[in-house]
Amino acid sequence: MFYKTALTSIAAVAAISMAMPLAAAQKTGAIAQDFKLTDMYGKTVQLSSFRGKTVVMEWHNPGCPFVVKHYDSGNMQKTQAAARKQGVVWLTINSGAQGKQGYMKGPEAQKLAKDQGMNSDHYLLDAKGVVGKAYAAKTTPHMYIIDASGKLVYQGGIDDKPTANKADIKGARNHVTAALTDLKAGKSVSVAQSRPYGCSVKYAS
Amino acid sequence: MTSKPSLRTIWTSFQLLLVALLVPALLGINPAAAQVDLNKRELNVPATLVAESQQVQAGQSVTLAFVMNPKPTWHGYWENPGDAGIGMSFDWKLPDGVTAGRAQYPVPDRLLVSGIMNYIYKGDYAVLVNLVVSEKVKPGPLPISVKSEWLACTDEVCVPEQDELSINLQVVGPDAAVSLNNAFNAYREALPRQLGSAATFTVKDDLFRLSVPFPANIDIETPYFFIKEDGIVDYAAPQKVNRDGDKLIIETAARGDTLQNISGVVKIGPSSGFSVKAASGDVEMSGTPFIGSGDSGNFIGGGDQSNASLLFVALGGAIVGGLLLNLMPCVFPILSLKAISLAKAGGNEAVVRRDALAYTAGVVVVATALGGLLLALRASGAAVGWAFQLQDPKIIFVLLALVIAIGFNLAGLFELPNVNFGNKLAQKDGAAGSFWTGALAAFVATPCTGPFMAAALGATIVLPPIAALIIFAGLGVGLALPFLLIAFVPAIRNRLPKPGAWLDSFRKVMAIPMFLTAIGLIWLLGRQIGTDALGLSLIFLLLVTLILWWFGGGQMKGLSRGTWATGALTAAIVGGVLLLPNAEAMDNQKVASASSATLPSEPFSEERLSELRASNQPIFAYFTADWCITCKANEAAAVQRQETADAFAEANVAVLMGDWTRPDPVISKFLEKHGRAGVPLYLYYAPGEEPVILPQILTVGTLTDLVT
Repeated sequence: MFYKTALTSIAAVAAISMAMPLAAAQKTGAIAQDFKLTDMYGKTVQLSSFRGKTVVMEWHNPGCPFVVKHYDSGNMQKTQAAARKQGVVWLTINSGAQGKQGYMKGPEAQKLAKDQGMNSDHYLLDAKGVVGKAYAAKTTPHMYIIDASGKLVYQGGIDDKPTANKADIKGARNHVTAALTDLKAGKSVSVAQSRPYGCSVKYAS
Repeated sequence: MTSKPSLRTIWTSFQLLLVALLVPALLGINPAAAQVDLNKRELNVPATLVAESQQVQAGQSVTLAFVMNPKPTWHGYWENPGDAGIGMSFDWKLPDGVTAGRAQYPVPDRLLVSGIMNYIYKGDYAVLVNLVVSEKVKPGPLPISVKSEWLACTDEVCVPEQDELSINLQVVGPDAAVSLNNAFNAYREALPRQLGSAATFTVKDDLFRLSVPFPANIDIETPYFFIKEDGIVDYAAPQKVNRDGDKLIIETAARGDTLQNISGVVKIGPSSGFSVKAASGDVEMSGTPFIGSGDSGNFIGGGDQSNASLLFVALGGAIVGGLLLNLMPCVFPILSLKAISLAKAGGNEAVVRRDALAYTAGVVVVATALGGLLLALRASGAAVGWAFQLQDPKIIFVLLALVIAIGFNLAGLFELPNVNFGNKLAQKDGAAGSFWTGALAAFVATPCTGPFMAAALGATIVLPPIAALIIFAGLGVGLALPFLLIAFVPAIRNRLPKPGAWLDSFRKVMAIPMFLTAIGLIWLLGRQIGTDALGLSLIFLLLVTLILWWFGGGQMKGLSRGTWATGALTAAIVGGVLLLPNAEAMDNQKVASASSATLPSEPFSEERLSELRASNQPIFAYFTADWCITCKANEAAAVQRQETADAFAEANVAVLMGDWTRPDPVISKFLEKHGRAGVPLYLYYAPGEEPVILPQILTVGTLTDLVT
């Protein structure tokens, strides 16, 4: 009876360690994991198809006050526009699970994007949270920058003032804009990691 | 067409008037020590600003509390919110000469949702801030206001909230009375306490390890390290905890950054924790693991899986632990009872099997019942640990009576009418006897924590009650296992000696370990109640013995004195229990032992301190706690030494000792007054002078120099 218990417990522990959510994360400096997601128009978008261009990934949840801070003030849209002008591909990703805050189906997302004047190239729907967990996206917003060779060169917050106050945007260092400037100048990103801040991503489980 | 207003119009106007009058009145009703803010009723985590005292003297400090009352399902955040969320911010508007210190947060909780870790407060909490009023401030009103922002979240949504809070204090002269708000005692108790010693940490190979000096004999329940600095630790990763002698070692996944110095809170129980500062160094994961760390209690989602694996591991540990208990001195005397019944049943397979099952039933029932009682006591808030049953002298007394009775029974003083230990083969009543033997074994064995057991029992704290009861039952199964094996495995059973004349002598010999157990229990009882009360208890036990002797005598003569004997025994035991000293007397006992230490001391109180100061006696006041290693080290090295005691006695130094092992608001205030948040604190009052704070590391020389 004792051996049976011991074996069962070993098996259980092994199973647990394989089922750990959010154990994955992409290492800054390593090649970012490829993925395929459907965007809000139903089109399939694959990360590796953008090889040769810089890609910015922005985790989004329209109900989160920290996301609202950057959208109501126009800060996110401005950052997106400036990035795209440089030839950067901007992906906005929504990993909210069905039934949780911020979850949207295609048409709803299309309307929101239009209303808010979003300037991203694609709005990707990740309701199962697979890509979010692969990148260990913890907050909304949570920003990732992948350079033209496919390496992850930045992950963290959008700026260095972790508040929900619009007034703090002006004096803050926009890490994304700064990183893109570094990349354009051919330099390495000076601040490659920062603390992401916001509401937690509303995964399914 | 009429010019008179209709009834309907009058009624509507009346309603409007009522509303116009009532709404402001309702809005005005807001219980707060601070000014009312109309937006407060909308907040999900409303804050109230309270001062410990409305009056403050110039040159002193006053503590303010931000009392946060999250609505159900909402929570607020610690200063490091973890993976998501933000901490609290304060924007003070203070008059000249007033400065605000850093916010002090109570020990936080964890909330893990979908692999994202939040460091939060589940219920009401109070964040304290000390305001220092400089000496130059003149007596008069002191208006304080602060704009505070925080994040209020449920598991689903977050709302950033803020409030403008203000409070009017009064600066009074040095002789004015200052009345204190007692609620602050509870607020301070919730804060983490300062560990007297520095910790070490290392970041190596993607692992973070922290080594905290913590006495080995202090129990911890749910250890977890909350780090203040960001980027170093992976918040959501589970934490492994080891204990290596006087060190608590915590290991978890590293995030990537590292620093030279870090700080944080080591939580050891539901609302107790210690502030630690750690410097970069070398830390190995030595010592033995502590089960129950990391994946405990605060799960939402993913919890069931980890709990199941914890249950299996703990159950295995409990069974093995129970098995090993058979070798511990606690159980051995009881085993002698079992051995006797086994020996006499050496031949009859069915009887042995039945008895073994009855024994197992007795063990498992009592072990589970004790476990259930432990859980119930814990749930009702009592801070009890395993083996709690032996912390109460009443239980020890009754157990002692039982053990003595069994010892004399084995020695042949009397026989139990329905359990026949004679030379005959066991009767059907043997099953009942086996059951009670098993029950007794479980009751007496449980305080012996052997290997495997501590970890398994630690798991019972964090698992849901049903799982915990299964573990206690597993302990019982392990304990009964040898006898089950003997009963059911023919190979072993056949090796048992057949009953014979030797059985009687064997039984008498088995009385010896039983009496040894009785001596052990007498010693334990004496330590708890003191020698005088022990003498009284022993008289009652003598009475018990005499009753049994009389009963046995009756058996020899063929007289049935059973009813009388039972009645007399009950009276004797109840009498003995009633005459045991109560809790107060036992505390005095503790003080008595403090007085018999190498350096005798009195308990600290502000009144005694002023009394002694008024009498111009030099005073040495020291504050210590059982969990403070630096304190204990200093005591062993310098305080509790003959040279120190002699020097102090010669100089007529009065010694006051403040024991801060359990929260004590009087000591907390006194420590704060001297600018300390924790122990140890050593003060020397020379006659007529202000106190001198002695260094944290004491030597005999430091102390004797004070009086020479």
